[in-house]
Amino acid sequence: MTTYIIRRLLLFFPTLLGITIVVFAVMALSPGGVGASLLTREGGMDPRVRKEVEAYYNKRYGLDKPLPVQYLRWLNEVSPVGTKEAGTGFPQAWGFGFKMPDLGESLVRHRPVIDLMKESLPITLLLNFISIPLVYLIAIVTGITAAKHRGKIADVGLGSVLLAMWSVPQIWAGVLLIGFLGSNQYLKIFPVNGLHDVQSDGMTFLPHIIHGAFERGWLLDSLWHLVLPVFCLSYVSFAFLSKLQRSSMLENIGLDYVRTARSKGLGEKTVLYQHVFRNSLIPLITISASILPSLLSGAVIVESIFGINGMGKLIVDGALAHDRELVLSDALVIGGLGLISYLLADICYVIADPRVSYD
Amino acid sequence: MVDDMALAPADAPVQADAPPTRGLVAQAIRDTLSGAGAKAGLVWICVVGFCAVFAPFLANSYPLAVKIGGHWSSPLLRHLTPVDVILLVMFFACVILALIRRLTFARKLAIGGIVLVVITPLAYLFVRPPSLDVFEEYRDLAKQGKIEAAIYAPIPYSANDRMRDQPEDRLSPPNRRHLLGTEDTGGDLLSRMIHACRIAMSIGFISTGIAVVIGIVVGGVMGYFVGAIDLFGMRLIEIFEAIPTLFLLIAIVAFFGRNLYIMMAIIGLTTWTGDARFIRGEFLRLRNQDFVHAAVAAGLPVRSVLFRHILPNGISPLIVSASFGIASAILYESTLSFLGLGLVDEPSWGQMLEQSLGVGGTFIWWIAFFPGLAIFLTVFAYNLIGESLRDALDPRLHGIE
Repeated sequence: MTTYIIRRLLLFFPTLLGITIVVFAVMALSPGGVGASLLTREGGMDPRVRKEVEAYYNKRYGLDKPLPVQYLRWLNEVSPVGTKEAGTGFPQAWGFGFKMPDLGESLVRHRPVIDLMKESLPITLLLNFISIPLVYLIAIVTGITAAKHRGKIADVGLGSVLLAMWSVPQIWAGVLLIGFLGSNQYLKIFPVNGLHDVQSDGMTFLPHIIHGAFERGWLLDSLWHLVLPVFCLSYVSFAFLSKLQRSSMLENIGLDYVRTARSKGLGEKTVLYQHVFRNSLIPLITISASILPSLLSGAVIVESIFGINGMGKLIVDGALAHDRELVLSDALVIGGLGLISYLLADICYVIADPRVSYD
Repeated sequence: MVDDMALAPADAPVQADAPPTRGLVAQAIRDTLSGAGAKAGLVWICVVGFCAVFAPFLANSYPLAVKIGGHWSSPLLRHLTPVDVILLVMFFACVILALIRRLTFARKLAIGGIVLVVITPLAYLFVRPPSLDVFEEYRDLAKQGKIEAAIYAPIPYSANDRMRDQPEDRLSPPNRRHLLGTEDTGGDLLSRMIHACRIAMSIGFISTGIAVVIGIVVGGVMGYFVGAIDLFGMRLIEIFEAIPTLFLLIAIVAFFGRNLYIMMAIIGLTTWTGDARFIRGEFLRLRNQDFVHAAVAAGLPVRSVLFRHILPNGISPLIVSASFGIASAILYESTLSFLGLGLVDEPSWGQMLEQSLGVGGTFIWWIAFFPGLAIFLTVFAYNLIGESLRDALDPRLHGIE
């Protein structure tokens, strides 16, 4: 198992290399490229000033170098091992060795990418870490209910509703939720912009009553803002997982060990919850790896609709602004998160199913 | 020279008393279509397809026939674009080919391809619509009473008709003149939705087609040759799976500009990994079977072993994933259009949906509801078909019956 994990961790490097090469190639091969498109943005500039600015950018980011050199330069910056200025990093005297990885500086926002990430990544992760347990919990309950009543109206009805739910585009759900539950024209129940109220900084943490008036406090305010985005983010995965749980339960109910358990006189509840249920969780664990990447791309949609400044919005804004450093770092972070979640899922798989072995 | 097809197990001699067998795939498709859900899905997709082909005849500002000064003319036909003509010709060619029973499927495909290749340059050479569209031309003439008789399309507004002569109709809710209401710019929503069927239909089919072809080639080569090629291929698949498709799509469309064909190509180029995994698994299962050994021993080229002998036996999981793939391609396109990365001059359901949250946070319910409903129904239809195909192809479910 340890060897397997180490091997998988080593395989991270070629995969991350591949991801960034793909994204870099896309940007480099696009008409206009990165250097030129940056300059067209600041149109109406004096030609001499433009030349100066161009020279400055070229020098600073090496934009006039051949493409492979540009890529290697970026790679050297972000990798923890590489050329460095003497006097920093691990073997201090050498020009080569361990150093702090540097994600570079956003070409458009003129801020270090790492700062932008620090602001937006926790927001997206918060959305996901609220969604994932919620989705799993409800999906398992629904799946078991459907499997218990298989073939009956409850099961068929639930199946159709879930398939329909799976097909509802997130953009449509988001727009309708905002329109009917968050706009002034209809019901204004939920806030629809951002994750906090404008005055949330002045609120106390917990809800309490001041002078007979209810004050919702920072925590409740945040939760209130999270309801619609989290719902919008999770309903697709919920529908998918419920269907999976149902079919997995049904598959297990037909197996020999269930017949054995019944024939030795165990109650239906024990059979269902202690024997079938545990075994039916295996596909849900395997699929958990692909849930995170799909939730991350769901975050792109949800954050754009609800105006939340998370990773998804950073990605869209960065791509629209042709911000090379930002897009490359996004690819690195998103790709890394995806790979880590795949690895975690594989490890969980071994823990859940002793028959599985990777050695 | 050994005949390629002679070794395929499908061509094994059938005993006289055995019941006539049908291929697994044909049987599965027949089973699928007997279900109510898949039937409903197919009906909806046919409706969307019909709208896509006949869009100019269903919704057009120009009358189909008009009598001015004593003689008849057809402004609608004069304004048909080359794309309209190609679609119409291809539609009727497909209908005729489907009615002919004597040809094999491969022949029909070849004839269809030839018709497409011949008609495309001809259409672009000879179909020359007027370069300037004055949509209100005939409405003005009608107001002046110059039109003696006219036959209009069921919805007398083109998709890009901004109704410049009727500014009071802008942003009007559904009413008798505009059945689904109008947009901010004055466009008739129903007309725009009918014309948007084209993008929805084409993006699904073409991008999934690209994904399936790449998936078959990569997955087949990986599953057949195993070893280093397989290891390398799996890394390639992992790379593409680790990048969320939407992220790559946004990056590429943002850098390469808005182009429907680029969008199709990219959706195809990023979603092939699932297909490749399926095909690899099937090829791994089949590569050591006797009929494959026989084909290799007969000295057939690798191409023939892979794609004429193994592939027909391992294609069934792909049909299911292609159906779901079309649904997700439509979702990707509408999401991109919603994020403002779609086409500008062509109507698309996602782009319409985006306008529903108008200026100043106002919410326009008819622009939000109807295009979104169209996306939902189309995606739902493909998912329903995919679902019943999967049930029909699942051997475990057949065992239970």
